[in-house]
Amino acid sequence: MPSRRQLAVALGYAAASAVYVAIGVWFTDFLLSFFVALVYLLLVAWLVPAGVRRIWRIF
Amino acid sequence: MPLAIGSWAPDLMTKWFVYGISIGGLKLKAADPAQFHRGWPGVGFTHSLLFGGVLALLVWRIFDSKIWAISFLIGQWAHALTDTGDTVGTMLFFPWTVHIHLNAWAYAGQTGRLRDGAAYFSGLGGAWDAVWIVYGLFSWRVLTRSYFEQHIYTADRSWSVANRVVSVGALLVVYRAAFFYGTSRWIAWTLWAHAYHHYPYDLSWGGPHWVDTAHSPPLTWPQVAGVVGIVALGLAIALMELGRRRRTRDEREIGFPCECGCREVVKLTKAEYQTVGGAWLEGHKPG
Repeated sequence: MPSRRQLAVALGYAAASAVYVAIGVWFTDFLLSFFVALVYLLLVAWLVPAGVRRIWRIF
Repeated sequence: MPLAIGSWAPDLMTKWFVYGISIGGLKLKAADPAQFHRGWPGVGFTHSLLFGGVLALLVWRIFDSKIWAISFLIGQWAHALTDTGDTVGTMLFFPWTVHIHLNAWAYAGQTGRLRDGAAYFSGLGGAWDAVWIVYGLFSWRVLTRSYFEQHIYTADRSWSVANRVVSVGALLVVYRAAFFYGTSRWIAWTLWAHAYHHYPYDLSWGGPHWVDTAHSPPLTWPQVAGVVGIVALGLAIALMELGRRRRTRDEREIGFPCECGCREVVKLTKAEYQTVGGAWLEGHKPG
């Protein structure tokens, strides 16, 4: 069974997927390229969380 | 990554011309998209096993990485083999230009990107994708950080090279991206086709039958015999090579610790070890 941390990570990716799907259904060109998905995922799953953690540490 | 790149390789530079694009007032599209995409003359050779083999050899030579070459080959062959599932199929054994096709789902690339997408996600093609998504979800452990760090990162030095520039967190996202893309795209297209546009499902063989479908001619009996012959030859070569490697491995001497407890090393082949029932130096008694 996955741990709580692993489930939390999975839920994060599921949320990112939901947003990606919503954009893709509205604008199918968004679904065309893997590299668009990669940039999107790096943004929402790495850069934004890293930025939030950094800001949190400051405060 | 090389596995993913290999799986995209057949369509990477060509699918845009199958669907067509407009630049200003100029429309660029293949006159016969199915012929261009999968046939010869055309770029159908990109869907052959030989093409994958040649590119894999190039990858090996250029990047000096066997794991990249094999991964690329598996990805490209997976694409070429699964594309035999539709009604046009692929020239798997190019330069033999016969199309291997199972007719499980309709090839509709000539209808344009949107209708092709609607058709694919209404038939057995989309269902086949779902099988792999479910398999991927059941194999969720391979997407965990610990699996990546223990097995993926250590197996391919390109990850450690990339780690000099970006953190492991970013590399982990890159690693997970292909599954994320495939799964999310499947959900998006399915919702677009069925919740937004109400295209009907047709999971019958060769469907959906509401779309204009391109077909390759059926194989003649001599062609079927040729395919069976090639597959049999390939299997025979693979089995012979497997047997040869097993014999070489069994004939290679391995160092066993002397069983008397003296910590000396005894060099024996696997067969010798099994014959004698153990390993010890001459004059030493097993403990």
